Amino acid sequence: MYSRELDGKTYTFGVSGKLWRDALLMYDHQTRSLWAHITGEAIQGKLKGKKLTPLISMPQIAWKTWMANYPQTKVLSIKKLESRENDNYADYHKSQRAGVSGTQYTDKRLLNKSLVIGVQFEDKNGKKHYRAYPLIQFAETAIIQDTVNGVPLLIFHSKDSFATAVYKRTVDGKVENFEIKDDYLSQDSQGRQWNLITGKAKQQDDVSLERLTALNIYWFAWARFYPETSIYKP
Amino acid sequence: MKYTMFESLINKNSPIVHINMKIYHVLLIYIFLFMLFSITFNATAENEIDPIRTLLPYDAIPAITKPQFVSATEAKLDIDAPVIGVTFNGESHAYSLYLLNGHEIVNDVVGGKKIATTW
Repeated sequence: MYSRELDGKTYTFGVSGKLWRDALLMYDHQTRSLWAHITGEAIQGKLKGKKLTPLISMPQIAWKTWMANYPQTKVLSIKKLESRENDNYADYHKSQRAGVSGTQYTDKRLLNKSLVIGVQFEDKNGKKHYRAYPLIQFAETAIIQDTVNGVPLLIFHSKDSFATAVYKRTVDGKVENFEIKDDYLSQDSQGRQWNLITGKAKQQDDVSLERLTALNIYWFAWARFYPETSIYKP
Repeated sequence: MKYTMFESLINKNSPIVHINMKIYHVLLIYIFLFMLFSITFNATAENEIDPIRTLLPYDAIPAITKPQFVSATEAKLDIDAPVIGVTFNGESHAYSLYLLNGHEIVNDVVGGKKIATTW
């Protein structure tokens, strides 16, 4: 999920039909530069080297859970396809085959098709960090509380709704510890409750946890673009 | 017996010819290495260590540029269908992943924010 605005201009994007590092390359209609959709960076063309601003989104969630939290939501509709959709990529998702180029992936820390939550953030010195949270770590718990280079993080993943969200684990400037109360409701050490789908305080609609962008992504793709990534281990 | 330079070149037993043959071989090896190096070097400069592969023509997978929306009650989605959700300034949009499989990109505006939803 990216902003289509860059340096004061608005762009629209199409599918180039090209792959780079086994991932989709988008192109913008205005300059026909090619953009890697995993990093949002232009790798060829007039805008080469430019980066789109990533935006907070829910990378995946069960429709009923989204609707329950955002009842006013609008839903993308395509008339001719509206009835029932199939997952055309089902076979691809089932196999361990990583992409179409036949590239051998060398980062064997996890299986190619392990799903991870890919998180990137800066520490207080401005150094960028990349960290992968394997979804398998959420089998027993919906939240992981982690601290990486002094940055306290709260990672939420529900195995029922498949919802994913990543927050800074601080409230009013103080590091907090959370426990899960019910489904996606959590409580901090002061007894304040937080909806981890919306990031909002239960009692105060205008108070939110600071949220980071998160990707649900296959390990091979994450490791290919961010080889320096660390992996969370309990 | 005295050899001129020319005679030494055509006499295969001459030490000068041996030297020249050696230079010739070394030169060949250098040219080969140079070609190898320049191919590798250019490739690096052009990102071609990870080549761009063309699988389909442009827009063979049609991105959505004028998305249409319905309300939650009108949507004909399974309650468990996976969607991508986004919310800005009080406005929320959901995109069925199954629909996105056929389009990959939605150029959208949500709560005044111009966004590209990619899958």
